[in-house]
Amino acid sequence: MRTEELIASLARDLPPVRRAAPPATLLLRWLLVTVPVLAMVVYAMGLRPGLAGLLTQPRFMLAELLALTTALISAYAAFCAGRPDEPGWKLYLPMAALALWLLELGRQCFILSLQTHGAALILRPDFLCVPAIAMAGFVPAVAMVWLLRRSAMFRTTHACLCGAMAAAAAAEVALPLFHAADTMMTVLVWQMGSVMLFTALGALFGRITLRLLSNASPHPEIA
Amino acid sequence: MAEENPDWRIWLAAAQLGDARAYARLLQEALPWLRRRARARWPQSSAADIEDMVQETLLALHQSRHLYDPTRPVAPFLFGILKFRGAEIRRRRQRHAGRETAIDDVSVTSAALATNDTQDRDVDTASMMMALKGLGERDRLVLNLLKVRQLSLREAASETGMSVVALKVATFRAMQRLKKAMKENITDED
Repeated sequence: MRTEELIASLARDLPPVRRAAPPATLLLRWLLVTVPVLAMVVYAMGLRPGLAGLLTQPRFMLAELLALTTALISAYAAFCAGRPDEPGWKLYLPMAALALWLLELGRQCFILSLQTHGAALILRPDFLCVPAIAMAGFVPAVAMVWLLRRSAMFRTTHACLCGAMAAAAAAEVALPLFHAADTMMTVLVWQMGSVMLFTALGALFGRITLRLLSNASPHPEIA
Repeated sequence: MAEENPDWRIWLAAAQLGDARAYARLLQEALPWLRRRARARWPQSSAADIEDMVQETLLALHQSRHLYDPTRPVAPFLFGILKFRGAEIRRRRQRHAGRETAIDDVSVTSAALATNDTQDRDVDTASMMMALKGLGERDRLVLNLLKVRQLSLREAASETGMSVVALKVATFRAMQRLKKAMKENITDED
């Protein structure tokens, strides 16, 4: 087909489309779902003992702040990824936030191991981490896929990866409020390992779901 | 992107509201610009490849026109799509090139080429017919209506009594099952 003919056929019977919301608006909508859900999960699981004391510790608050930053930046990057006019550097910000978060946890682990003569390095199995992250991150992940269904037209894998990381990081913000890990090494390996696992699985299922959703409704026309 | 016509924004915003004339105008005006950008980005690509990239970009723009924000310029939006679709076509070409064998030394009038071509087509058709037979009645019905008889979704919906959405889902699933069945047939033959 000649390109001029293609243009004529595309412009014929052009249906109006509903404009996609900008990334910042989508981020706000995602937070409107995620924050109450995480609050409910924390309420249902019950606050961990000694949380009030922990909240005054800069070490704990810094880890929480970095988890929150990773969640926010990842969610924003996920909503940007599907848009062709968004610059590529925005999509790599979540990696930087995650690296910073991991570095801080590593630094805390190192300092605590010196202070406790290696006790912080003891790794104990913490099987609750995986289901806890999955439970807390499930609804944010579903909300993310739902919000991405119309905007992840390009770089879909990247959008799903960032979206899953946002949900996992958001779950990790809530997790220390109701679940105590024994040692810093347990936090690093089990909690962050659960975040990585959730991100990988979330990205995979998110991509499959998005493909099914786009096949079921390929045209973003006004119904 | 300094060469963007300021009307492009107005035309694409109008196209989002269903203005077909503004949309046609935008695509016609953007066409030479897209060809120029594609040639500049992939100077080694053939003219046919460049045209493919431009056509794929126009199709992708059509599918994603709801993503455009009228407060932003159109050129980066179009160029972004061109980059993705162009890179995809280049990757596809490179993948195919790895599986192809140059046959420049065989005469173009060679009868063997024509026979091979027919044989391949016949084998493809036969394996597809065999796979179709293995599908369920509903899968065969939707594939026959939409792919063989090439009816529109609305026509097929009125013929089957199914909704358009249900038809889309049924077609997608039928195609997946057909692909799977064809793959299994090929594996069995190997």
